[in-house]
Amino acid sequence: MNKPAHYALDNCIKCSICTTRCPVARVSERFAGPKQNGPDLERFRLQGLAAAHPSIDYCSNCKNCDLACPSGVEISAMNCRAKGESVSAQGASPRDRLLALPELAGKAGCAARRLFNLAARLKPLRGLGEKLIGINAEMTLPAFAPKTFNKLYYASRPAPLDRKAVYFPGCHVNYHKPLVGMSLVRVLERNGIQVIPGNFQCCGLPLISAGMLSQAQKLARNNLDKVQKYLDRGYPVITSCPSCSLALRKEYRDLFEMDADGGIGSRVYDIFEYLGEMDHKGDLDTNFQRLPVRAGYHQPCHLKAAGCGSPSLEILRIIPGFQVTDLDAGCCGLAGSYGFKKEKYRISMEIGREVFCAVDAAGVSQIITECGMCGLQISHGTGAEVLHPVQVLDLAYGNGHRVPK
Amino acid sequence: MIRKKTDLLVIGAGLSGIMAAAAAARAGKKVMLVAGGEGVLGLTSGCIDLWGYRIDRKDEFCPGPREEIARLVKVSPGHPYAVAQDALEESIDFFLAICGEKGCSYRDNGGGNWILPTSLGTVRPTYLAPDGMAVNLTGFGRIVVVGFTELKDFFPGMLVANLTRNTDLTPGCELVSCMVSAGGKEMGPNTLAHRLEQPGVIQRVAAGIKKFVYPDTLILLPPVMGEDLHRDIMNTLSGELGCLAREVTGMPPALPGQRLHKALLGYIKDRGVEIVAGCTVKSAMVSNQHCRWVTASGAGSTMQILAGAFVLATGSFLGGGLQALPGKLRESIFDLPVETYGPEWSSADFLSTGGQPFSRFGIKVNNLLQPVDKKGYPLLENLLVAGSILAGCNYPVEKCGGGVALSTGYKAGRLAGGMTCE
Repeated sequence: MNKPAHYALDNCIKCSICTTRCPVARVSERFAGPKQNGPDLERFRLQGLAAAHPSIDYCSNCKNCDLACPSGVEISAMNCRAKGESVSAQGASPRDRLLALPELAGKAGCAARRLFNLAARLKPLRGLGEKLIGINAEMTLPAFAPKTFNKLYYASRPAPLDRKAVYFPGCHVNYHKPLVGMSLVRVLERNGIQVIPGNFQCCGLPLISAGMLSQAQKLARNNLDKVQKYLDRGYPVITSCPSCSLALRKEYRDLFEMDADGGIGSRVYDIFEYLGEMDHKGDLDTNFQRLPVRAGYHQPCHLKAAGCGSPSLEILRIIPGFQVTDLDAGCCGLAGSYGFKKEKYRISMEIGREVFCAVDAAGVSQIITECGMCGLQISHGTGAEVLHPVQVLDLAYGNGHRVPK
Repeated sequence: MIRKKTDLLVIGAGLSGIMAAAAAARAGKKVMLVAGGEGVLGLTSGCIDLWGYRIDRKDEFCPGPREEIARLVKVSPGHPYAVAQDALEESIDFFLAICGEKGCSYRDNGGGNWILPTSLGTVRPTYLAPDGMAVNLTGFGRIVVVGFTELKDFFPGMLVANLTRNTDLTPGCELVSCMVSAGGKEMGPNTLAHRLEQPGVIQRVAAGIKKFVYPDTLILLPPVMGEDLHRDIMNTLSGELGCLAREVTGMPPALPGQRLHKALLGYIKDRGVEIVAGCTVKSAMVSNQHCRWVTASGAGSTMQILAGAFVLATGSFLGGGLQALPGKLRESIFDLPVETYGPEWSSADFLSTGGQPFSRFGIKVNNLLQPVDKKGYPLLENLLVAGSILAGCNYPVEKCGGGVALSTGYKAGRLAGGMTCE
């Protein structure tokens, strides 16, 4: 935060536009909206009083409130602090702790992959899981991958190149969707850049969303130190997950006052931001194969929150034959682990209904989105196949055996 | 840093910014729109005001806003209408066409103002009203004001008690209030609007109102009657009850303003306008009286946007186009001179009918909407200024905000349509 917190608070004129844009408050009266636990109660927190209304548990940390505010108030950060207050007073449930640690779940899940993936599909077991630990029985769980991204990467023995970039894969790519990471490696390689997987920890965003701020802060410190080391060696750091990217560039700064001048965050790039920059300099290999596909694009909330639009769309649109429609239907509702919780599943699906209807209306079976969890929700709600835009680019470069439907 | 290039960059997502983007996009230009916040259109009542009160008698509603504006520009040549009056008619037609296309139709009142009820039971003049609000209160034998038990901040009893005092109704008109339930605990307007769209809910609500309805009844409701399905909900309600149902104008944030915002954004998206939300323009690179590019930043990244023309529609103090510090005023991006018309910023009489001096602060422009210096020479040739950041109007008391936004926004978009990026 580069200005005193009370200035940010004073900018709030109580207009409530944030609450009108809150996907959760729209469909449920259980969340009073971002204004109440945000600017309304922040005044007490600034005076050192612990203040959080219990409804804060229903904030999904999607960040649409920040985008709505005409006065630049950091509403979502205030809500995150409120949840932090609430959780440090009452403690987090074992379920919320589990869902906030995707790295731990990933390590265990990949180690006993067959067992976990089978269990995720067994209805009676899921029913028991809902009763005992409160994870909704209907929601599709993300499958664990046979090999993590790190394993696949080192097995592929990538060729050494002069230009190098460090990749922050994030837990979802590492443990659930390593093929997204491998596509990114090939796409950058094609453009003369060798990818080095960074030795990072979880970005901590799931912990932040669960209100476990002190644990998140430790991860933040560790990750930023590592990013700094790579930057010192002259390697840019590249992300493919909008939430990891937002954590590195915004959350650490807003919540933990780290990287206050943005010196580190400004050198972390979303993969398409990086490719766009190359394209601008004329360095991007645009020798694409024809890809005759109609697809729908979903913009994840955390990408929208970065305030740079959707850098992937501009590049996807130069692939010959590739037709992409922006679904423009707002939040998918899953919000990381929010929609897995038994008391929130219905809310999450009701929010997502707009997106599911938009997929139907677009008449496409192929969806493109940057966020793995948005992807999971969309395929859960519609049955559509979902790819990360970097996988589309990889296909357009002629890699992969399969052209999507 | 992300680099972008476009024919026209519109800064601001309020009514004037969207009109500018729409007009230029219709002319076939490549248009990009960036906005730091949502734009304050979603905070408004959803009505479009042109001119509310008579120039000579400020306590009387103005019967013919267009005629009043024609008189105004003669006596107040510094008013934004003086530079955009030539675009007013076209901009209204264009606005009505856009709204019609997006299923959010508006109506005028045959050239005069509508006199619409508010949720406090006062009445207010406006020029264009959404279909679901447009009504002449005279002509009904009975008015039933409906409240929802779940909704905070709307009291039908108060509306009924005040309305008879504030306006002329049909002699003998009966006013009654009633409460209905949509099912659920206390909720805000948006939650209720969404709830009313769920299957069967509006039918239940209609059943609760039915016993209060006689022939010749008008139903007045808070502005919460649905989001995207608003029209269907109003039709279902009218159909079930066999009478006219209308929303009253409400406190911000009100659904009608949000419906309008969504419809207008939908129109420009359909025409290929690229919209970047959450992105604040911080500075501009200017040479030879031309803006070459602007630098904008979001939560995580910075963008450099090159354009042939720029529309500044960042709003006044609320929207962030103007910034006030103790003793100092600033236009946020280009550091343009801010006109104040004198040393006084505020008046001790808070609700004075003359309005607050700060409401008139803003940027002075010429006929081409270019910002000008004290002598009237343009400061930047490819920057056009539109909407409430313009100097010289006092929209809270004049009720001219909608018309100024439409006409200046539309004109800026048309003018910018003639410029291209080198």
